[in-house]
Amino acid sequence: MSDKKINIVLLIVFATFIVLGVYQGRRVEFYRECEAFYRWILAVGTQERLFQTSEGEKKSDKFIDLQLFAKLSDKAIPLLLSETKETVLVDSALTNQENFANIIGDISNDPVIWKLTIKKEMRDLREEFLKSLREGKIEFSRNISYVEAQKSGVNIFNLFFGFRKIAASLIWLEVDRYWHQGLLYRMVPLMRTCVTLDPNFVEAYLIGAWHLAYNATAKLIDTPQHLKKWNLKYKACVGEKETFYYLAIDFLKKGIRHNPRDYKLYFDLGFAIYKNKMNDYPNAVRYLTEAVRVPHERWVRRQLYICQETNGQYEEALQGWEDYKKRFPDNPVAPRFILRNQGKIYEKNAQEIIKEAEKVVDEQLKAKRMNDAVSLKKQAREIWQKLKEEENDPYGDYRLLLMDAMELYNEGRYLESIAVLDKARWESPSNFDEVSDLIIRIKQEANLPLTVSEKKAVLRKAEGDRCQGMPEEMTDKGSG
Amino acid sequence: MQNLLDTVKGPWFIAVYTWREGLRRKTLVGFLVLSLLVIFGATFMTSFINQATVGDVTTDMDLKLIKDICVTTISIFGILITIFISASVVPTEIENRVIYTVLSKPVRRFQYLFGKFLGVQLIIIMNLCLMGGLFFIALYIKQQILPTLLLWSVFLTYFEFLIVSALTFAIACASSSSVLPTIAGLFIYITGSLTEYLKDVYNRSGQSGEWFDTLIGYIAYILWNILPNLQRFSLKTQIINSQPNDPPTDVLIPQLVIYGLIYAVCGYILAYWIFRKREV
Repeated sequence: MSDKKINIVLLIVFATFIVLGVYQGRRVEFYRECEAFYRWILAVGTQERLFQTSEGEKKSDKFIDLQLFAKLSDKAIPLLLSETKETVLVDSALTNQENFANIIGDISNDPVIWKLTIKKEMRDLREEFLKSLREGKIEFSRNISYVEAQKSGVNIFNLFFGFRKIAASLIWLEVDRYWHQGLLYRMVPLMRTCVTLDPNFVEAYLIGAWHLAYNATAKLIDTPQHLKKWNLKYKACVGEKETFYYLAIDFLKKGIRHNPRDYKLYFDLGFAIYKNKMNDYPNAVRYLTEAVRVPHERWVRRQLYICQETNGQYEEALQGWEDYKKRFPDNPVAPRFILRNQGKIYEKNAQEIIKEAEKVVDEQLKAKRMNDAVSLKKQAREIWQKLKEEENDPYGDYRLLLMDAMELYNEGRYLESIAVLDKARWESPSNFDEVSDLIIRIKQEANLPLTVSEKKAVLRKAEGDRCQGMPEEMTDKGSG
Repeated sequence: MQNLLDTVKGPWFIAVYTWREGLRRKTLVGFLVLSLLVIFGATFMTSFINQATVGDVTTDMDLKLIKDICVTTISIFGILITIFISASVVPTEIENRVIYTVLSKPVRRFQYLFGKFLGVQLIIIMNLCLMGGLFFIALYIKQQILPTLLLWSVFLTYFEFLIVSALTFAIACASSSSVLPTIAGLFIYITGSLTEYLKDVYNRSGQSGEWFDTLIGYIAYILWNILPNLQRFSLKTQIINSQPNDPPTDVLIPQLVIYGLIYAVCGYILAYWIFRKREV
């Protein structure tokens, strides 16, 4: 073959591979775009499912996430139904948006969502999303490296030649240094920089929220309710400590949007903030439930069941503990909590029957109902006895004392009832406040004199949950 | 069959020879030792953090720092090793006149060049294995779980290096000194990492309405399409901290491997084209 022919052949082969490279590059680009879209769907789905109804989320007209999600849901649900009837559960009572958000919430549906993302039918929505992202109209998951690189000429993505994560880690060392120097206010913007550089820096969200909710508030005193101010963003009465709690919540929520499949963020939000700091058990249960929906450590479930119990969801907690015991038979905690929830269910049922019986006119039926309640109370007593003797749990003793006290109270023996309750509150310090309130109630009912601290507690309660600037319509609902 | 075996054997021997030669290079060994020291040192750095913060999450912070430091070290030192070795194998042989001895044997230029290219790849793979191996051990000691995602990250890193290596190798074939291809290699890496800017130029073009502005936009768009975009391999840093069984990652990895291979072939064809015209 002549030299010229070889050159031509080489040129053709080279050009062919360049064309192939361009084609493959476009394919990679397509998948990167789909990835950006997919991550946004996960983020906005999480937002829709978890934070939409919660208070405190900033809603702005500038962003079109939720409108786009509504369009997407309307298109996605029929597509999913036509193709994956067996795997995807759609509730006809819910809207397309709610259904799609629920589908996104299930980690096992990730491959289904991804398949949906790359579909031809989704092309127009994908393009609309990318266009909106470039125009800065997307609030959630804005840090997708692909589109960020296209948004403006000089940006943090290119600045580090792809070494953004190490930059974020090095900035985190500065955050750590500031923490040890006590420069808390310098930490917050740096923490935000860290997670902007690396939105998947889960530890930054966790430790950042921990600094805000725990360390920053450690030396702060509680703001009296009447000095707290109504916060429009959070729709709650906020003092100095609460400001930091809400900052921590916002920080963790941001983390959840970027990393919806990481249990640690849900766990910290539910357990460390809502349960431990805010005593907000419904929200604690909500986020801990989310934590167990994704791959998690075994102790996450335990905290969920404990919160469910505290929140009065004894049936769910009992079911959870029984399942936990089956999975981990060697766990020493599960049998105790199974008994606790069983006992509480008996007591709760007994209370409900008594309430019903009080409304019944027929004396015979009333007596029968009361007998049923007594029988349930007896069963509850047996459980508490078992908890005390077999499991050596002081909580059993506390519940027995509480039952004794309530029986004495029902018989009108108030002083004896108060004496028993006084003993009970020292048996279970975690229930001290609850029992103290009960003592005050009985004393007030029996016209017995209150102690100084009890009088103060009554005054505090009389002030209610009102705070400065609180709207009238919120007074009845209570907050803070 | 014998002919085919002979065609393969020749490049293989040259590759093994290149690999051995590469092991003797002080610069490469220096880079490798330095990178291993940094990876090893990452654990010391994280122990310092461990003392500084409190709480269960600290252990994860250690891991995160180790991962970031090690991935960056592998990328920086790996690319330096890749550029230095790709830029020097052919020019050094021309400088030492070893090439004349080799090409006087019944070895075709294609085989010689393929052998050299293969040898370069062996050195790069060996370096990556050493760095990745140490990183793997460091990570395993810390988290007590086999870090499989790390293997994917290192695997993808290789294909990024493969593109830079092939293009640097092509430039090295036109040069008689290793200095120029080394500088060119660094530029290839930097520009390859900034190819996304071209898309940005295209997106912003045409705003003034001037024909020149539009023309620049089209040129930028063509270049953005043709030039290899190394930023697409940023997935390697993304997967190291992500959850396993992530659907987009599972799709993107094979796509990026094909992308890397195509541009490597382009680089090699370019190298052969230059080399066959060269008077040696």
